[in-house]
Amino acid sequence: MGSTTPHKGTEADGAPESGAPEGGVGFRGVVAASEAGAGRRSGMVRRARAAYVVAGVLAMLVAWQLLSFVVSPAVMASPADTAKALAGLAWGSKLWVELLITLKRLVIGLAMGAAVGWLLGIVAGVHRQLRSFLEPLRWVSMTVPAVIIAVLAMLWFGLGDLAVIFLVAVIVFPTMYVNTVSGVQAVDRRLTEMGQVYHFSRRLLLTEVYLPGIASPVLAGLTLATGVAVRAVVLGEVLGAMNGIGHAFSRAMAYLETPELFAWIVVLLALMAVIEFGVLRPVRRRIMRWRKAGG
Amino acid sequence: MIVFEEVSKSFDSLEVLSGLSFHIATGQMVGMVGPSGSGKTTILKLVTGILTPDKGSVRVAEGVVGYVFQEPRLLPWRTAVDNVAAPLRARGRIKAEAREIAAHWLRRVELGGFEHYHPAELSGGMAQRVSIARAFAVEPRILLMDEPFSNVDAALKGSLMQILTSIIRERKPTVLYVTHDQAEAIRLADRVVELVPGNGLRELDVRDRA
Repeated sequence: MGSTTPHKGTEADGAPESGAPEGGVGFRGVVAASEAGAGRRSGMVRRARAAYVVAGVLAMLVAWQLLSFVVSPAVMASPADTAKALAGLAWGSKLWVELLITLKRLVIGLAMGAAVGWLLGIVAGVHRQLRSFLEPLRWVSMTVPAVIIAVLAMLWFGLGDLAVIFLVAVIVFPTMYVNTVSGVQAVDRRLTEMGQVYHFSRRLLLTEVYLPGIASPVLAGLTLATGVAVRAVVLGEVLGAMNGIGHAFSRAMAYLETPELFAWIVVLLALMAVIEFGVLRPVRRRIMRWRKAGG
Repeated sequence: MIVFEEVSKSFDSLEVLSGLSFHIATGQMVGMVGPSGSGKTTILKLVTGILTPDKGSVRVAEGVVGYVFQEPRLLPWRTAVDNVAAPLRARGRIKAEAREIAAHWLRRVELGGFEHYHPAELSGGMAQRVSIARAFAVEPRILLMDEPFSNVDAALKGSLMQILTSIIRERKPTVLYVTHDQAEAIRLADRVVELVPGNGLRELDVRDRA
């Protein structure tokens, strides 16, 4: 968890957006016709790509099923048994109660860590002295293993919400900070000079040049940070909480309820999918609309 | 009016300008030619005040400065109209008012109908026209241009120049126009000076232009 690289998310998530324009909005006249063709082509390319993704999911399910034939059901539940356990959890209130507890910790921890990383990243991106001053903190927070931070959090805050939220915030901070700093440093100097020439106020420079300029790396950082945060919240709950998905997971392990254990893994994956594809991607697409013509 | 008196400017140990003096009268259009690295852009930046001289003084008439850069330098995340409106908002205009003025100037550079296009949707020539609209929207007393046509192909250059000269004739700002194209400078400007590295300025004769 300590090996965060800036912009990693930009390449991974930028891929679907960097293709041909989505058609519809474009140049007038002759260009519009050829763009409509490109739009149709990119639609086909996207559908073909989606088909491969679906095939990949199916292949994993098949492999899982085959493995469960060979391996003892005590250590690996079959997809069918997992689905049954999942249905059982969803039927009672257990799934929803634990999900809400985990979601609360995740959102608060992520919001705090990301907000601090973002704010400090903006200021440190502009001020070299502050950047050097914060460098040791960044290094420590990226280098100390997550499990050690979890243990310290338990020691300081006891078992429960506070320890888990603290862990998530500390783990998320450097990811967001590093992405924001490199975003600020990558802001086009020619645009800031244009702002100076036209006497932009500090506030106008921030809202017109810097904030939109760093939107892409910041959103990439947020996507990365969310993945990191999900892992951290589960770790925190396994070690330092009496409820939540992580705790339910470790309880299932202790009682050898293997189908339930696998059901919780599916719940985690579903949670992550909803956050990434239901929240982060659409937000990103909306904010980055200006790139639609490929600029 | 722009007055340079014995201006020197160095970057690190490299002296770009040494003891440069010149005077541009109000309403005059001066073309400045010279090899790259001779300090042309530095002179423009000294006029805007984003650079200050190491020695000597730069005096510039009160009023707003408009600047047409070599590249359009538009905010990619803002529409054409909001790009032109931004410097107006920096001068305290409210958004709606700034947009209204901006839309007027976009029509003036023949970009009516493109107000809500983003820079990525515009051609290079169109983007440069947006930057010209931005420079004039602030009603500049002084207009600075740094090789504004160098990234535009020859066919577009003519129409761009025509738009520019008609607005300049109408608004009569003091113009300092940097180019490496001596013929172009002679065609457009009232006065052409050549910046000779180390030797200051040399006045070129433009009376015998066609």
